[in-house]
Amino acid sequence: MTSAVTIPRHGGTGGTTAVAARARQVVKAYGSGETRVVALDHVDVDIARGQFTAIMGPSGSGKSTLMHCLAGLDTVTSGQIYLDDTEITGLKDKKLTRLRRDRIGFIFQAFNLLPTLNALENITLPMDIAGRKPDKAWLDRVVETVGLAERLKHRPTQLSGGQQQRVAVARALAARPEIIFGDEPTGNLDSRAGAEVLGFLRRSVDELGQTIVMVTHDPVAASYADRVLYLADGRIVDEMHQPTAEQVLDRMKDFDARGRTS
Amino acid sequence: MTVLKTSMRNFLAHKGRMALSAVAVLLSVAFVCGTLVFTDTMGTTFDKLFAATASDVTVSSKDADDGGETTAGNGKPPVIPAAVVDQVRGAQGVKSAEGTVFSTSVTVVDGDKDNLSPTSGGPTIVGSWNANDARTMEITDGAAPEGADQIMVDADTADKHDLALGDEIGVISALGTHTAKISGIADFTVTNPGAAIFFLDTATAQRTLVGESGVYTNVNVTAAAGVSDDQLKRNVLTALGTDYKVQTAKESADANKESVGDFMDVLKYAMLGFAGIAFLVGIFLIINTFSMLVAQRTREIGLMRAIGSSRKQVNRSVLIEALLLGLVGSVLGVGAGIGLAVGLMKLMGAIGMELSTSDLTVAWTTPALGLLLGVVVTVLAAYLPARRAGKISPMAALRDAGTPADAKAGRIRGLTGLVLTGAGGYTLYLAGSADKATEGSLWLGLGVVLSLIGFVVVGPVLASGVVRVLGAVLLRAFGPVGRMAERNALRNPRRTGATGAALMIGLALVACLSVVGSSMVASATEELDKVVGTDFIVQDDNGMDLTPEAVAAIRATEGLDRVTEYKWTQADFTTPDGKTSDDTAITATDPTYAVDMRMETVEGKLADAFRPDSMSVHEDYAKDHGITLGSTVDVAFEGGRTGTLTVRAVTSSEGVIDAGAMYTSIDTLARYVPADKMPLTMMVLASAKDGQKDAAYAALKQSMDRFPQFEVRDQTDYKEALKDQIGQLLNMIYGLLALAIVVAILGVVNTLALSVVERTREIGLMRAIGLSRRQLRRMIRMESVVIALFGALLGLGLGLGWGATAQQLLALEGLKVLDIPWPTIAGVFVGSAFVGLFAALVPAFRAGRMNVLNAIATE
Repeated sequence: MTSAVTIPRHGGTGGTTAVAARARQVVKAYGSGETRVVALDHVDVDIARGQFTAIMGPSGSGKSTLMHCLAGLDTVTSGQIYLDDTEITGLKDKKLTRLRRDRIGFIFQAFNLLPTLNALENITLPMDIAGRKPDKAWLDRVVETVGLAERLKHRPTQLSGGQQQRVAVARALAARPEIIFGDEPTGNLDSRAGAEVLGFLRRSVDELGQTIVMVTHDPVAASYADRVLYLADGRIVDEMHQPTAEQVLDRMKDFDARGRTS
Repeated sequence: MTVLKTSMRNFLAHKGRMALSAVAVLLSVAFVCGTLVFTDTMGTTFDKLFAATASDVTVSSKDADDGGETTAGNGKPPVIPAAVVDQVRGAQGVKSAEGTVFSTSVTVVDGDKDNLSPTSGGPTIVGSWNANDARTMEITDGAAPEGADQIMVDADTADKHDLALGDEIGVISALGTHTAKISGIADFTVTNPGAAIFFLDTATAQRTLVGESGVYTNVNVTAAAGVSDDQLKRNVLTALGTDYKVQTAKESADANKESVGDFMDVLKYAMLGFAGIAFLVGIFLIINTFSMLVAQRTREIGLMRAIGSSRKQVNRSVLIEALLLGLVGSVLGVGAGIGLAVGLMKLMGAIGMELSTSDLTVAWTTPALGLLLGVVVTVLAAYLPARRAGKISPMAALRDAGTPADAKAGRIRGLTGLVLTGAGGYTLYLAGSADKATEGSLWLGLGVVLSLIGFVVVGPVLASGVVRVLGAVLLRAFGPVGRMAERNALRNPRRTGATGAALMIGLALVACLSVVGSSMVASATEELDKVVGTDFIVQDDNGMDLTPEAVAAIRATEGLDRVTEYKWTQADFTTPDGKTSDDTAITATDPTYAVDMRMETVEGKLADAFRPDSMSVHEDYAKDHGITLGSTVDVAFEGGRTGTLTVRAVTSSEGVIDAGAMYTSIDTLARYVPADKMPLTMMVLASAKDGQKDAAYAALKQSMDRFPQFEVRDQTDYKEALKDQIGQLLNMIYGLLALAIVVAILGVVNTLALSVVERTREIGLMRAIGLSRRQLRRMIRMESVVIALFGALLGLGLGLGWGATAQQLLALEGLKVLDIPWPTIAGVFVGSAFVGLFAALVPAFRAGRMNVLNAIATE
């Protein structure tokens, strides 16, 4: 069930490694001296290809920072991050930008779409920026999958919150990135719309072979993942495979209790 | 109180965003204050000069101008007999009286025959050195002139032309050229703004300037202790009777002031006019700033409303921010204005007009007016956005801030704008087809105002169409980045419209003036080709007459076929309808003028007007006074007798060259005006013998070499000079309009900078999904270019309309050819694109530097 039917690739980049992204001894610290705050404390993590990974943790645990670093949005203080075989730590802005454009997809919590572009234009935007022609058949399939065929000409303001997030999902999928990062993609949605979006993410892993990393604090959202990583105080403290919402919730409560007693 | 506090905090929190608006207010206020300080300082300088140089009481000829200028048609100053001095000395309360001679109808050259006259338009004065001059001038080098071969020069002129003791100086007057060597240099103890002054001893001055001894132009009278100037004047009048002009120091100074006052008023109001345009442009910038600040703060204002602020309070809080902005901008503007005035004074110094910063005059009204204007304009401009802020509902606090679509308002606006533009267009049409210039110019003014307002109102509606077209033409080539730039420009048409409109105003004026200017050149050229039959024209560009010596030199030149002198005087005409028209201009020329200028006539031939006791009148005058061919007119020549002249030609009122002139021959004039009262020659037209044109031109230039003040031009050079003259005038106006354009550019920068702030998250998102910095910067630059080109298109369109209408209207005055200077228009358009690129520099750079993570972080 976890293995994909076919894993689509572009341009022959990447190899056949089972790991899509790696973090090695990643430290992210702000400030210096007494005011130094360590957001990530020597984190090692492997993101498996073709898997849906959720990163959980309480506020301030460093989960968003980890995602931003993995996605090349933020720089690290020390340590290395690899996307496939490419070390992205130390890349200059120009190369990082291109890397994000060509190899990574993003879904943010809110404000995912450009208000001036319609749904279809938003979906193809990363490819437009790159000056690439979208693969028509693939695009149709993605649009079909997220169920937006009827609304491609709509502007974001004419779409509901759930529809907007689905457009964002479609955008992330359309360019066939090696990896998609989601920053609480369902954080602003009601449970029904949220379930819809999570369902699409799940299906894109199962049916399209996509690799997805998602930051969330919602146990229900996390239960859609293949694997859940728990972060606390900048360290990975636990991990769970094939979770259910109840298991996740229990584990969270556990952390909360420990956090209070310690 | 809380309202004030929130306003203060908001103002300070957004001081960066307010900066450009403050600069716009600053520039406009600075220009107003700078103009006032500059002209006031000039006024002070002249006041001091005139007050210092005038003697207690001055006696001069009745024919002299009040201001002491000595111009008369014959090139000699009006004089009074020397005996007057003794008569004045006999009057009560006179301490001393001395006769002086001076003239401004002179040209002074150095040993190389280079003109020493001021280039600033100041007068050249040659006079006798007297006790009265010694009051305000100090001999710093050498000694006062004694004897015919000595001359003293003022220190400023000596400095400017590197003159030293012993240098040769030539004084060219109507009587001939007098040469002398510099014996001394004298410096003013007050500021001399720009006159070149030369002194001779009294006998030499009399001989050189008047041609006879025993006469003076003025008697300077000094009062004995305890006698007031007014009392002294009465005493002098008692002694002299009323045959002479007697003025107190104050009267002379006032008369002098009046003559420079007119010039200064023109300067002042012209510059204030341009400041007004800058203010108008600044209004758009301020409206935009506050609109954007209000839009960005919608949620915040909604919250204020939700927790109980009244509409009025919200409204007021925005207006208070505007007040603060106005105050800050104006205070800085007043300071900058004084700096600007000092700068202008230095600039004037560079072109030969000396002004001293010690005379810097800041009337209390200047800062007061600056502050008032700056604050009032800013608050008024912020009124609309403030009202909009007041209308924000408390619900806005709960909603995601989005731009509310108000399609209805757009339709109303579009309609209003179209009606206004239509009305403006119709009015312009009326102006273009008017029969009378006075009526037409009224229509033109109204049409300009209406169409301008119409364009401003309809601008946002037009923006969507024009930007799409520009986008299709220019931006499509840039792919998705271009498309996004286009969409961004279209996003808030009101903002784009207002930003473009600010640029539109300045460019419309540029386009309009360029059309009028180039039509003037084209019309004049066409007219010259049609009318002028002479090869060469000799005249003084400052309007001085040619000296008899110079005319003789022209006549003696080899290779000339004919030489026509052109003189001008005034006369009282008594026409067949029994009316008398006083002081009417009459032109006297040699009969060959009819060949040199093919003036169109409606009746008779112009050549016949040069027969003995004959004249021509122009069409309108003939109509008004019932004159036909063969009518007689009694002409009482100034300084001469009355002659009865027969009208033998009626000249057409079409045509611009010498429009309205009435001609007679110099021989006829000489019959009625004694030789010593004959006016000098204003202009000489000369034509070469067949096939000797080039040689004659060179020979003519050669013989006029001694007289650097007179220009010799052939037809080509004449047209070129005309073109240069109009070009210079236009360049000056463009220079002043540059202020308005700079403010408009600030507006573009402002709009972009605020847009970038407003779109922080969007920019972050695009950067996150792979838009490179370069692409981002390009996107912002292209948006800027589109806005600028939008403004340019509107402005050029409007300006061409105005210019064409003005030409149609001025066709009545002879501006018959419409010439649109396409290279200028294209240049302005392309230039606007660069303006757009330039305006985007900083906003694009800042957008590129934006931190992606901060930009996308959810609050």
